[in-house]
Amino acid sequence: MTVSKADRQRFSTITSKVRDRVPLDLEDGVFLYHYPDLLALGSLANEVREDRHGDKTFFNINFHINPTNVCVANCRFCSFARLEPGMPNAYTMSLEEIRGKLVERKDQPVTEIHIVSGLHHDQPFEWYLDTLRVLKKEKPSIHLKAFTAVEIHYFSEKYGMTYAEVLKALMEAGLGSMPGGGAEIFHPRARKKLCDDKATAEQWLEVHRTAHNLGLRTNCTMLYGTIETIEERVDHMLRLRALQDETGGFQTFIPLAFHPDGNAMAKLPGPTGVDDLRTYAVGRLMMNNIDHIKAYWVMIGIKTAQIAQSFGVDDIDGTVQEEKIYHMAGADTPQALTRNNLVRLIREAGRTAVERDTLYNVLWEDDGEKLPGTRVEHASMPFSSHKLPVLQ
Amino acid sequence: MTTLKLWAVQFLNARPLYAPLETMKPVGDDGEPLFEIHEALPSACAAALESGEADLALLPVGAYAQMPELEVVPELAIAARGAVETVVVIGHCPLEEATEILLDGASRTSVALLKVLLHAKGLSPALTPTPHGEGAPAVTGTTCALVIGDAAFGLGEQFPHVTDLSSAWFQLTGLPMVFAFWAAKPGVLTDAHVKALQAAKVRGLKFAEQHAQTYRRSVLAEGREALSTNAYANYLRKTIRFDFDSYEREGLVEFLTRAHACGAVTIPGLAEGDTVHVHFKGARYEVAEQARASTQPLNVETILAKGATGERLSFAEGLYLYDNADLFALGEAADARRQALHPEGVVTYIIDRNVNYTNVCTARCQFCNFYRPPGKEGGYVLSREVLAQKFRETEALGGVQILLQGGLNPELGIEWYEDFFRWTKANFDLRMHALSPTEIIHIAHLEDLPVREVLTRLRTAGLDSLPGGGAEMLHDDIRNRISPFKNSTDEWIEVMKVAHELGIKTTCTMVFGFQETAEHALVHMDRLRETQDLALSRGVDGTLPQGRFTAFIVWPFQAAGTSLRLRDDTSAWRYLRMQALARLYLDNIPNIQVSWPTLGPEIGEVALRFGANDFGSVMIEENVVSQAGAHFMLTAEQIEHHIRHAGFTPSRRNMQYDRLSA
Repeated sequence: MTVSKADRQRFSTITSKVRDRVPLDLEDGVFLYHYPDLLALGSLANEVREDRHGDKTFFNINFHINPTNVCVANCRFCSFARLEPGMPNAYTMSLEEIRGKLVERKDQPVTEIHIVSGLHHDQPFEWYLDTLRVLKKEKPSIHLKAFTAVEIHYFSEKYGMTYAEVLKALMEAGLGSMPGGGAEIFHPRARKKLCDDKATAEQWLEVHRTAHNLGLRTNCTMLYGTIETIEERVDHMLRLRALQDETGGFQTFIPLAFHPDGNAMAKLPGPTGVDDLRTYAVGRLMMNNIDHIKAYWVMIGIKTAQIAQSFGVDDIDGTVQEEKIYHMAGADTPQALTRNNLVRLIREAGRTAVERDTLYNVLWEDDGEKLPGTRVEHASMPFSSHKLPVLQ
Repeated sequence: MTTLKLWAVQFLNARPLYAPLETMKPVGDDGEPLFEIHEALPSACAAALESGEADLALLPVGAYAQMPELEVVPELAIAARGAVETVVVIGHCPLEEATEILLDGASRTSVALLKVLLHAKGLSPALTPTPHGEGAPAVTGTTCALVIGDAAFGLGEQFPHVTDLSSAWFQLTGLPMVFAFWAAKPGVLTDAHVKALQAAKVRGLKFAEQHAQTYRRSVLAEGREALSTNAYANYLRKTIRFDFDSYEREGLVEFLTRAHACGAVTIPGLAEGDTVHVHFKGARYEVAEQARASTQPLNVETILAKGATGERLSFAEGLYLYDNADLFALGEAADARRQALHPEGVVTYIIDRNVNYTNVCTARCQFCNFYRPPGKEGGYVLSREVLAQKFRETEALGGVQILLQGGLNPELGIEWYEDFFRWTKANFDLRMHALSPTEIIHIAHLEDLPVREVLTRLRTAGLDSLPGGGAEMLHDDIRNRISPFKNSTDEWIEVMKVAHELGIKTTCTMVFGFQETAEHALVHMDRLRETQDLALSRGVDGTLPQGRFTAFIVWPFQAAGTSLRLRDDTSAWRYLRMQALARLYLDNIPNIQVSWPTLGPEIGEVALRFGANDFGSVMIEENVVSQAGAHFMLTAEQIEHHIRHAGFTPSRRNMQYDRLSA
């Protein structure tokens, strides 16, 4: 690694901007992405992270329900969606099945359910409302983080309602907040290639704007590692930052690493460790107005997630009890981390684990007590996409 | 310094271990004697330890089985590799035809050994306790007698059938039989005690003739017939082994395991599926003690700046960094050091194949998922046909080397390896990066040859270089806990030193995550650095000597599925820190390899910024860590992709770290 003097100076200028809380611009972000000294970049992101959160790393005990994988959209990076009902592996859950998912975990200290679906052709809007109602009825204290902006946009078109009408109805049925999925990459060049037939960047942002105005907190994401350029990644971050300046409704930015198995883009190599860490670090530095940066360990692996805590990440997506979307794309990570394993993972990296609820209220803070019976049973990382010719 | 109440057995074979203490009279720092010596029968020694009357005793293995919490003095035992002469079954018929065996005042150990052997042979004669001295005269027909101790000398000539139980044990297992060793109440032994006991043995063997003569006189004085002084001296010099190295440790655990399994002894607290564990007293490391005593004020920035420029770090400085340096600061210093050593921005990798020629292993390491004990189902030795196919495939994929490692298989003698290497060299154009020090030591034990001769013969046959496996944590506190039957730290280092002297290149490794402390890890690195200093001192006129460490590789222990009941406290974060620290501390080892097979290529990439300059091997095949839950496979193309992503230029190499054109 050789860093030119000019680059060192530029980095130092950016460091000063960061410390003076001056927002970074597109050129700054692109420069940081390419800056050869990974550790200097990480160190700067860590400074911001520690400034905001000290040694705290948040986690949340939740589980996922994906009520259907039938989907009208045909995103090239997706291995989850089955386009038509009746196609192999296509499914749609009954309300009883959905309720069953919660009943199975009734005794577990789950505080949140994360609900994301395909864009189903002909389920009535009532089915979505009932999904929320049935869960709320089963456990009134549960927080429902549900429906991406892409789904909200789809409901609005399909059922002839405004975004606000859709959201209000869902809120009445029990919606507590919205996940940040479906953002993918906003830039029209990449978006056209990736997912031409779903909500546009403007529509996605408008849904979140509406949600924020209705008092909903939401998250935001970025899918990286497909065909997008570094400029397009930074551009994406800037668009999110602009909306955040306007509404302040985003809680967390979650970069999502592309998984190349079982989808139309399986030939791409996928992002790698250094790319993951750079993305978190640049994300932390660009998003000066978003509180949290979250690593979703299901995608990048437990080990990279642990290191990411030093590259700007202050939140590790919690004990995911059931997860379908990424495992169909070949994620080779354990299906669920136990709470103790997660705490250990955080502790070993010199951080203090903090259990939060969806809205970042602190529920528990690690006091360093001994953790019995914990062991990462299968601590491998997602890499099944790169298979070697088998020699026997 | 405490004076320990030491109880010793009066038998001839025990005299060299304790008699010199009577003349040497070792004292501690405070001038107080280290030992107060009592002589007694074996059973009395055991009872004295049990009651607390003794602090330290020469304990028969049969008694030890009941008190596994005792601490065992390393390197000293009364053992035999083959016949022992003093534990025999005598009779007018072969052992196989005996209907009754009189147990002539026998010790628990010899009875347990007899039971183990009978169990293995499927025999069940009646076993009748008989007062000492009354067994041999009562032998008649199919009634035999077990006679032990000095009473057994010379019985061979009086009975047509004599079964030496130690010899039978060796035939059954291929392992030495350990009869007794020094064992102490936990916590009472100090380094001075251990050293004094070890010194006594050396002196005792030097004066074997005198012990023999004294003994002969005492026998004659009792009016009994005696053998020649020479016969007794030979017994002490050749028949009895007073060493207690890893080969004896293997024998000991095999015996305890079998004896427990067939009910000959009961080891308290040993649950089904547990492995037998022996607590050895760990060695002291002066460098660590000095560092602990040091009051020199330290500062992270100063130490890192030193390390980054390649200046030597002291043990205390290494410890200080381990405990206090920030991840990024450590990484930046290691990266600067890597950059200085390898300024071209190239990261190398090799195409080789990891061939595990056998999984049969006597070492029983608790952290291993791969081995099968001898005689158990699922053991294999790869045939020439299978090996040939693997080697051909390796060549076809552009491979230049075979990394050959396997279990400690008692069926494979040095000639098997010699034939194998000669055959490989005659048929393939592949370098043999083969046999870790653990396997070399095993072959040396098996053949009773010095390590130097084993290495010389194997190199002549075609071995090119030695992989640094089997090091785990080179600190006996840890080794005694996780792999007490495998080579000690000193044995491992010794193989590397001899290999370097012979001009053989080697690599070195470290596995962490055994609940070790900073001090354990630093002792490990310090021993490697010291060994490399010695190797490099052989370079003439500034040239590098042939024999040296070429690379260092560190990885976290893969706990899943192994019998080691450790919580998995290893992590990527610790790995990066450990590797960066190693880059700084091991100032004389040029290359550091990332361990992507255990951490995944993502962390592998990141690790290139934490001091590493090599991406290891394409690893066409690997069986050991994959049995413990790591499953990664990469092609050369993928490795190059990862290297580029981390900002480096990939280049293929061989084991010597010469670059190859792709």
